[in-house]
Amino acid sequence: MTMRRPLAKWLVILGVLHAIVVCAGFFAPYDPIEQDRKNPYLPPMPLHLLDAQGHLHLRPFAYALKLREGTFDQYEQDTSQSVPMKFFRSGAGYRLLGFLPSRIHLFGSEDARICLLGTDAYGRDQFSRLLYGGQISLLAGLLGAGCTLSIGLCVGAAAGYFGGWRDDALMRVAELFLALPWLYLLFALRAFLPLSVSPLKAFFLIVAVIGAVGWARPARLVRGVVLSAKERDFVRAARGFGATDSYLLRRHILPETSSVLLTQAAILIPQYVLAEMTLSFLGLGVPEPAPSWGNLLSNLQQYSVLVSYWWMYLPALAMVPFFLGYLGLASSLQERLEPYKIERRSPGSLA
Amino acid sequence: MVPILEVQDLHVSYRSSGEASYAALAGVNFHLMPNEILGVLGESGSGKSTLATSLLKLLPSNGNISRGSILFEGKDLLCAPAGELEQIRGKRISLVYQEPSVALHPALRASEQVFQVLAAHESAGKSALRQKTRQVLASLFPKEADRISNSYPHQLSGGQRQRVLIAQAIACGPSLLIADEPTASLDSTTQKEILGVMRTLRDELGLAMIFITHNPALLAGFADRVLVLYGGRVAELGLARTVLSSPKHPYTRALFQSMPQILENTRDTRKTKLPVIAGDSSAAQLPLEGCVFEPRCPDRMEDCREREPAVVNLGESHTVSCFKYGG
Repeated sequence: MTMRRPLAKWLVILGVLHAIVVCAGFFAPYDPIEQDRKNPYLPPMPLHLLDAQGHLHLRPFAYALKLREGTFDQYEQDTSQSVPMKFFRSGAGYRLLGFLPSRIHLFGSEDARICLLGTDAYGRDQFSRLLYGGQISLLAGLLGAGCTLSIGLCVGAAAGYFGGWRDDALMRVAELFLALPWLYLLFALRAFLPLSVSPLKAFFLIVAVIGAVGWARPARLVRGVVLSAKERDFVRAARGFGATDSYLLRRHILPETSSVLLTQAAILIPQYVLAEMTLSFLGLGVPEPAPSWGNLLSNLQQYSVLVSYWWMYLPALAMVPFFLGYLGLASSLQERLEPYKIERRSPGSLA
Repeated sequence: MVPILEVQDLHVSYRSSGEASYAALAGVNFHLMPNEILGVLGESGSGKSTLATSLLKLLPSNGNISRGSILFEGKDLLCAPAGELEQIRGKRISLVYQEPSVALHPALRASEQVFQVLAAHESAGKSALRQKTRQVLASLFPKEADRISNSYPHQLSGGQRQRVLIAQAIACGPSLLIADEPTASLDSTTQKEILGVMRTLRDELGLAMIFITHNPALLAGFADRVLVLYGGRVAELGLARTVLSSPKHPYTRALFQSMPQILENTRDTRKTKLPVIAGDSSAAQLPLEGCVFEPRCPDRMEDCREREPAVVNLGESHTVSCFKYGG
């Protein structure tokens, strides 16, 4: 039972993080593409419970920002103008989980906007963009990993089970794919397509490319598992009782690959989220105005943004808890599913 | 009566790395009548398991049946397409492997494993198949069929696992059961129990059986006929009582002499050295020409080195391949 706890812990952490991103419409106070051109590059607004006079307020509030005198892009808090936070407030319409229409947001304000992570060049709320961007980046990671693992599973199982020339041919192709520099492959692929593609098309292009490029490693792992599984005595015995190839694969061999696949999934998903971020950062991914973690960071390509507006870096930190969650999940999955592979030393043992 | 299985001139060879290949079976001939138990006796490397697996074309990928024919109920299995073989395996001919501890799927309940065999071969509805599964298991476990059915293999003893394997083997009512050392990993009381089960099945279901073993003692009182295999060739074949009581082939004789005597019978408590057959029967040691047993044979003659002995009929369907008897 002690083995279950770390696994459950990581699953809960990841579940909460994903729930926040999936329900971005509720947690984000504003529409991610709504512009406010009068307030570009607002710095993050801190929330307060104590006001300037030292009075305690039960309702958190922010101070509105005003331009510091003599500057044109330096803001300071205007302590005369407080913006109280209103919870479960009706605001911009959105569709929860993509279909439930709703206007309720976790928080909002009455007059000035509360931008927890500041705004970008067009005055769009970075916090809202970050949450919505997660939807695209995480979905790309999940779909890409799903793609990769299904291709890897099919190829690996076919190569391992049927062996012979099929094995040789598939594994040579896998080696070719392992050797491909996928970023350049993607540049080349993108160059074939028209300059401006719709966000949806761009999204599926990314998913297809990162999904199709990475299958070689899981395929090799699956092949190894299948090779050893098909020589098991109970598999040979089942064959002696007239089991067909498809039955053996379905019931006896593929279930054995589940541990490899789960662990690979937990490793591949963050890797593919990062791949999506790289592509969008370089402008090859989902185009503006749709937010994604990658194109939130692409503002940093401008030197002025890089040196002047430190809060534009913040989206990069968002992925840290996700990645830690997935890597923790991967290692506890491996410990759980392949306990014999992990050497455990009892505290009293020598050497 | 028509034999249910006729094996003629069966040659099986294994390819090792590169071009080298060696023969595991070289010209095996025998037949099996319905309702008959044929004991196949031989030491490690004599080709026993190769014989069992080649009868169903289940050889490992480097194995190759180069010559011969296997007529089962008048049909040559070697020419049968793969789909037809899958229908024969488990339904008409069943193969019971030697290690009951690893031949069962570790994560499926015993009843499910029997059910899957039935489902692979019979088209009846699910509930009818479940019913039949219960019947088959009840016939093998008269007392605690329900408990065993719901157990996973690791919850069963070796003998119980072997019975579950036998239940799988007989579920579809085959006419031939091939048992490859089914009792090798069991202790002797359980061995006796399993032999009893197999004998009852033969009597009740009219099964023909090929029982492969390296222990001659198991065959006495169990097998109807005995086939002695050495170096991939049939050394001796005859009725069990004749072969076991008066073996003719020098190998069979030497083999029986190598069995430890039971102390009571010898009345001699001094330590005596167990007689062994000098030499070694690994494939590399077998002569390329002449009789395969010649290097280890106590009665070797001039002829033995030059050509292979032919099969000599000693009457009462007792045959020997040895020059001593005329070969």
